[in-house]
Amino acid sequence: MYSSIVRAQNSFGFFTTVVFVVASLIAVSDLLTPRAPAVGTLKTTNVQVVRGRPHYYSSKKEEYAVIKFSLDADLSSLFTWNTKQVFVYVTAEWPATPAVTGTPSNTTLNQAVIWDTIITAPSADHLANIGPAALKKLQKSAAGKSIDPSRGKLSIKNQRPKYQITHPSGKIAETDNVVLKLHYNVQPWVGLLTWNQDVDIGLWKQLKGGLSKKFSLPAIKKKADAKV
Amino acid sequence: MAEQILDQIRDVAEGQIDFEGQKLAELIANVALSVVGAIAFLVGYLLQDIKLAVLIGLGGTALTFLVAIPAWPFYNRNPVKWLPVGGGPQPLPNLVVNEKSVQR
Amino acid sequence: MFSSLQNPRQAAAQLMNFGLILSTAFMMWKGLSVITDSPSPIVVVLSGSMEPAFQRGDLLVLWNRNLYSETNVGEIVVYNVKDKDIPIVHRVVRKFGIGPDAKLLTKGDNNLSDDTELYARGQDYLVRKDIIGSVVGFIPFVGYVTIMLSEHPWLKTAMLGIMGLVVVLQRE
Repeated sequence: MYSSIVRAQNSFGFFTTVVFVVASLIAVSDLLTPRAPAVGTLKTTNVQVVRGRPHYYSSKKEEYAVIKFSLDADLSSLFTWNTKQVFVYVTAEWPATPAVTGTPSNTTLNQAVIWDTIITAPSADHLANIGPAALKKLQKSAAGKSIDPSRGKLSIKNQRPKYQITHPSGKIAETDNVVLKLHYNVQPWVGLLTWNQDVDIGLWKQLKGGLSKKFSLPAIKKKADAKV
Repeated sequence: MAEQILDQIRDVAEGQIDFEGQKLAELIANVALSVVGAIAFLVGYLLQDIKLAVLIGLGGTALTFLVAIPAWPFYNRNPVKWLPVGGGPQPLPNLVVNEKSVQR
Repeated sequence: MFSSLQNPRQAAAQLMNFGLILSTAFMMWKGLSVITDSPSPIVVVLSGSMEPAFQRGDLLVLWNRNLYSETNVGEIVVYNVKDKDIPIVHRVVRKFGIGPDAKLLTKGDNNLSDDTELYARGQDYLVRKDIIGSVVGFIPFVGYVTIMLSEHPWLKTAMLGIMGLVVVLQRE
């Protein structure tokens, strides 16, 4: 500590220690905040299967499903000071068709995201990838607030899916036992990433609801109606 | 000439302080940084505002560095008292080491 | 600074100390690699395709074991594409089938379309072994130094200059 350089080195070294400790405390403080996410309704409103090119890079025509849905959910308890964003996504899940994979149909698993959204916390609004006008509006909506749990309340009616779902086999029409499932992923400013849980962990309750009724995909619609 | 100028720059850049000052500087740096960290966390947690916590942390740290790093005068209040070169009193005979031992 | 060179024992001790620091860091890296079962357990985000979740320069901690469940839709994974050196961090958005042969499709949150075009020619999906880990932990900003140094080479020169200045201004 006899010269300025040594004092600067030592002070900076201790500063990094303090930063590390405080960052750990912030990450741990997440566990002290109860989470009780709940989904009111999640249901399909319109399901269609079309044959066409679902993506601009599709080289061949294939069947794809367009699933419109409605959603009511309360995820407001996920927003704390350490929340940077919550990524909410709805998947369609259906059992593997025995003919395609050779696995029994009760071992589920085809999963495809049909819709997602990013809910930034006010502390991360400036990072959101939206137009300047929308950004201004977003920042204004939380002016003076450091966190804004009300953003976690979702109410969506008859939403068009962002992604049409397909299957590598090219066939998806008349698939049975499809369900929609709501998921979330909490992105912290520092610490562990967390997803929706199937069991309670400490103060974090499992996601209530979040599963739609089982439904079947219809037969292919006539080409005249198809929107590509 | 250039050597003298370099010496002066070295003096400023080096910022030597005395032993008591070193102790004090280390104490100030460690305590202040810990307190700043604690305040940043508590204020941030209670107000649920992470940006405020970062601001308090960085601001407090900058202030601490400003206090602890430069050679402020109050770090040099207990200069080491060197014995004068050659001019001091002769060593007492009973302290001469190559004699048998230190006698009264 | 160079006075230690006059004393071989001290110089040797310094060399040992330096070697110890290097080998400790290497052991911790490889140890973490064994624990997480990932060849690269900590990665720096290099692109903005996962914004606003991950900015360039953020550090990600990876986990590559499937203890409780398989790698599922919604997880953010780091994968390597054949013949491309740069690992990519994107989210799994589709999964067809189960087990090691399940077909996975990924997409960056900030990208409009999925990653089909990033994959190798003729490759439409990833499989589990293309993935080197799922993101479990997040530390912001710390990795930005490496990005700065690789993108602005003059910073290296500036750092060398500052180090030289320190040496000149320090008395022995």
